[in-house]
Amino acid sequence: MAATIEQVKFEDTYQINGKTFTSRLLVGTGKYATNELMGQCLEASGTQIVTVALRRVNLDNKGEKTLLDYIDPKKFTLLPNTAGCYSAEEAIRVAHLARATGISDFVKLEVLFDEKTLLPDPIATLEATKTLVKEGFTVMTYTSDDPVMAQKLEQAGAHAVMPAGSPIGSGQGVLNPNNIRIILEKLKCPVLIDAGVGSASDVAVAMELGVVAVLLNTAIAHAKDPLKMAHAMRHATEAGRLSYLAGRIPKKLYAQASTPQKDF
Amino acid sequence: MKLLINGENKEFSEGLTLEELIRQLGVRKETVVAEVNRQIIQNERRAECKLADGDQIELIQFVGGG
Repeated sequence: MAATIEQVKFEDTYQINGKTFTSRLLVGTGKYATNELMGQCLEASGTQIVTVALRRVNLDNKGEKTLLDYIDPKKFTLLPNTAGCYSAEEAIRVAHLARATGISDFVKLEVLFDEKTLLPDPIATLEATKTLVKEGFTVMTYTSDDPVMAQKLEQAGAHAVMPAGSPIGSGQGVLNPNNIRIILEKLKCPVLIDAGVGSASDVAVAMELGVVAVLLNTAIAHAKDPLKMAHAMRHATEAGRLSYLAGRIPKKLYAQASTPQKDF
Repeated sequence: MKLLINGENKEFSEGLTLEELIRQLGVRKETVVAEVNRQIIQNERRAECKLADGDQIELIQFVGGG
């Protein structure tokens, strides 16, 4: 008997460093108008992995509710990021702090080069990847869409390589699908699109390329209606994945009739 | 003694431990990670971590991020 679509989705899992996931949408927790809205959006998105950041406690507003009051670490895998770090040392320090919470040994490694482009510093990123892998972290590395860099990161032991579709928060979608195709051809470790998607169609395009998952934040948090967009992103991720698995028809220059042309 | 906490100078009585400091500040201990002079002090060691004049303390927690 043919599998139902629910069975197909249930059985279509992927692993990151031995941990199995079914949802192929990773969602960030930044930039929401309220934490309540964020919690609703995470729920609606169906995500299993959420990114978080680490910052100083506000001593003037102590005792206030914290992010963890809105995200149950038993329900979601927390993926602490090293956003805002501009050197390997800083990123490694933040990863250590994240692990010291005792909640997660996952890290979204991000070592940036400059504030305007938020492009990664490839050399520092590679160095930090090597160190954190040696230290036993599950390292998911943010990178540009450079196929050579992606291969270097895999060789360095990254558990997932996450090229940006386009600059962080820019909403431009996947600007160079060919680079993503080459990265997918070359790498054996999971490849995720991290950053740059703006709409459901951007997510579907990324998933149709064959990446294991998409990570996004701003596209939901800054949508006019974030909750609606969270639903849209969930459907787009599933649609793109199923479309990839189903295998699209080849593109042709000329028309191919869908209706028999004779015997009327 | 003077302690530099999250970049702010604050005055405290001598002999304070990190655990007591976190309590005095009213910070929720279960969600905070602490560094003293750039060294992470694990949760279970806070009670034995005596602070000294001039120590630099960072109290860090999870916030929203992408």
